[in-house]
Amino acid sequence: MEIDPVTNGNTDAVMTEPTPAISPSRPLVPSSRLSQLTESIKLEHQLLRVPFEHYKKTIRANHRSLEREVSSVVSSVGDLADNDWSKDVAVSRLTSLVSRLQGLKRKLEEGSNVENLQAQRCRARIDHLDSADVENITEWNNTKLKRILVDYMLRMSYFETASKLSESSNILDLVDIDIFREAKKVIDALKRREVASALAWCADNKTRLKKSKSKLEFQLRLQEFIELVRADSYKQAILYARKHLTPWGATHMNELQHVLATLAFKSTTECAKYKALFELQQWDVLVHQFKQEFCKLYGMTMEPLLNIYLQAGLTALKTPYSFEEGCTKEDPLSQESFRKLALPLPYSKQEHSKLVCYISKELMDTENPPQVLPNGYVYSTKALKEMADRNKGEIKCPRTGFVCNHTDLIKAYIS
Amino acid sequence: MELKSIKDAFDRVANKQKLSYTKTQEIIQMLSQELDKALILLQEQFDQRPILASLKKTLQENSPLTQIEVREKELNMALTKYPKVLEKQQLNSDISKAYRHNVEFDTHVVNQIIANFFYRQGMFDVGDCFLAETGDESECSTRRSFVEMHQIVEAMEMRRELGPALNWATSNSEKLRQARSDLEMKLHSLRFLEIARDQTSQEAINYARKHMAGFADSSLYEIQKLICSLLWSRNLEHSPYSDLLAPSRWNDAVRELTRQYCNLLDESSESALSTTLAAGTQALPVLLKYMNVMVAANKKLDWQSVEQLPVAVELSEEFQFRSVFVCPVSKEQASDENPPMMMSCGHVLCKQTINKMSKNGARSSFKCPYCPTDVDISKCRQLHF
Repeated sequence: MEIDPVTNGNTDAVMTEPTPAISPSRPLVPSSRLSQLTESIKLEHQLLRVPFEHYKKTIRANHRSLEREVSSVVSSVGDLADNDWSKDVAVSRLTSLVSRLQGLKRKLEEGSNVENLQAQRCRARIDHLDSADVENITEWNNTKLKRILVDYMLRMSYFETASKLSESSNILDLVDIDIFREAKKVIDALKRREVASALAWCADNKTRLKKSKSKLEFQLRLQEFIELVRADSYKQAILYARKHLTPWGATHMNELQHVLATLAFKSTTECAKYKALFELQQWDVLVHQFKQEFCKLYGMTMEPLLNIYLQAGLTALKTPYSFEEGCTKEDPLSQESFRKLALPLPYSKQEHSKLVCYISKELMDTENPPQVLPNGYVYSTKALKEMADRNKGEIKCPRTGFVCNHTDLIKAYIS
Repeated sequence: MELKSIKDAFDRVANKQKLSYTKTQEIIQMLSQELDKALILLQEQFDQRPILASLKKTLQENSPLTQIEVREKELNMALTKYPKVLEKQQLNSDISKAYRHNVEFDTHVVNQIIANFFYRQGMFDVGDCFLAETGDESECSTRRSFVEMHQIVEAMEMRRELGPALNWATSNSEKLRQARSDLEMKLHSLRFLEIARDQTSQEAINYARKHMAGFADSSLYEIQKLICSLLWSRNLEHSPYSDLLAPSRWNDAVRELTRQYCNLLDESSESALSTTLAAGTQALPVLLKYMNVMVAANKKLDWQSVEQLPVAVELSEEFQFRSVFVCPVSKEQASDENPPMMMSCGHVLCKQTINKMSKNGARSSFKCPYCPTDVDISKCRQLHF
């Protein structure tokens, strides 16, 4: 704090003088920009949730296997103590238990390393959101655009492009390539009409699926049953049903009965109700269901982020006049491809008039009010004055060619 | 919204996980030690049964499983809390609520847009890889032009070479003039400073005479600065004109070049994709809030087939590309069927409102709602914004 020696004669004056304002650590920014930034961060739930779910899953899986090992060791000891084994057997068993524990220790360490890496990734994302500032907002938005594009690539399974893009833009920590790869394995297997990986996935996530009352496992089992019927292996089908479908009978009896009845039909049946069950499209339905469960588990949206943002943006930019010619090239809707996408979308609603001068592309407001030519065309005061000054008071409408004098202009009042 | 509480919640989780890990390691260590002890005793003594029995008892007393359980439970609590913290901080858990599901985006069009974006940013290998993976046979038409643009820009940025840029600018001089761009002047000044530095002042003046004379009416001040800077030809860093050497002038020139190049390709100065996504970022919170309110009020909304958004989305100024006229009386947006009309007093209403006010021609004049002037319908003029 600088004290001006001229104005402060005695120390008393110094004490009573109000302290000068401490300069703000950041320059005053328009609050709208700041609130816009906050709103944009609020949309980033998926960014934080997905790696967290992955982290949680790893922790739980590690814990389960740890529990199994420890309880098996303890019960082996109990078994040794209770029964009458010979000394050699006891020694050999104990030694094997000791080495098992060593192995467990190692596994635990590895598991913890993996968990730490995932925790790091979660932290990196939180930090990334924290780093968003009004000063570096263009760069942050650029990164956001790349993240959205990588998400699109992953959902369409373009893994090579996704990796290339993430590496070149340095956003590997902010994208979830491995999670999508995991999903792709299951989806590919389903497309090959194999349920094994999908069932393994269901087993891995049993508790979560149960909590959300998911029917996925049931549907997978039903499909396997139908395949057995299709291959005419009736006996196997019945055994399979006994083993795997009966537990679901309590909750889904109707569906179970419906499918079991396929036993009575051949796969080439013409009966509509049962023909539908034999359709190969059922596999596509399964793929879709898997995707739904997968996205729900990880807290992801079903649709690519790109589509969500594009739709919102296009509909907010669209006006009834958007498809006319003569609009500025800055408008994304002046481009053919964006127009095609925006065609089925509703146009935006605005509560107040906002007028843009055709000549200068500036806003026509109270400081630069609109002026009307005798032919009904409207331009901003500034642009018309400039034109008049350059052409000795003559005004020529750029859109119709109509000529008039600067004095012929009438002011319009738009609220 | 506080990111700090999210960080804290996550830190808690991470700490509990570390705690759980160390404790578990301790427990396993304890187990191994007990087993080792038992093994040593077995080697020495004859009867294994009491040893084994005591081992079993120790294990039961220490109850490793319960200990692990306790830690795991604490960790679980922290894990369940975290998503709740996220939600409390108003992170929108499902941003697809406002998505119209019956609208399918043509993947081919989207791919073209993405490929165009990559080429525009100079990421040619990513763009090529992308098109290869999509299996799109058609090549992006703008690729070649963007390659050229990036070669020019690279020459400027990496090697401080102005040749290609100047060539391009002079060959498109007419269009640049129409667009009222000062690109040529910028490039010429950079070249001028180069010549002044590397060659003689006389050569620089010759260059200025040859190339900059035509810009006298628009850039006189700049030309004056440049010529005056010749007085300090070898000592420009210490002259009042030292800012002429600033590297930001190169960046400005590159930016202006990119903008004009894109403009001539019929593209926008800012990538259309980033503009649309930025607009989307502003629009989404409004749309989501609206959906939430409708759901909470249990109102059914035929979201999927409305022609106009039911809620107003105010985008910031940079997204206003077209005039939008909203009739102050009916709050409807002007369109071809309902154009804005100006009354003789200068106030503007939409056609339908004027018709209503005059009872569809039954009355020949009515009072303007803003100023109490009598308005004659026949004198109302249609406006074109």
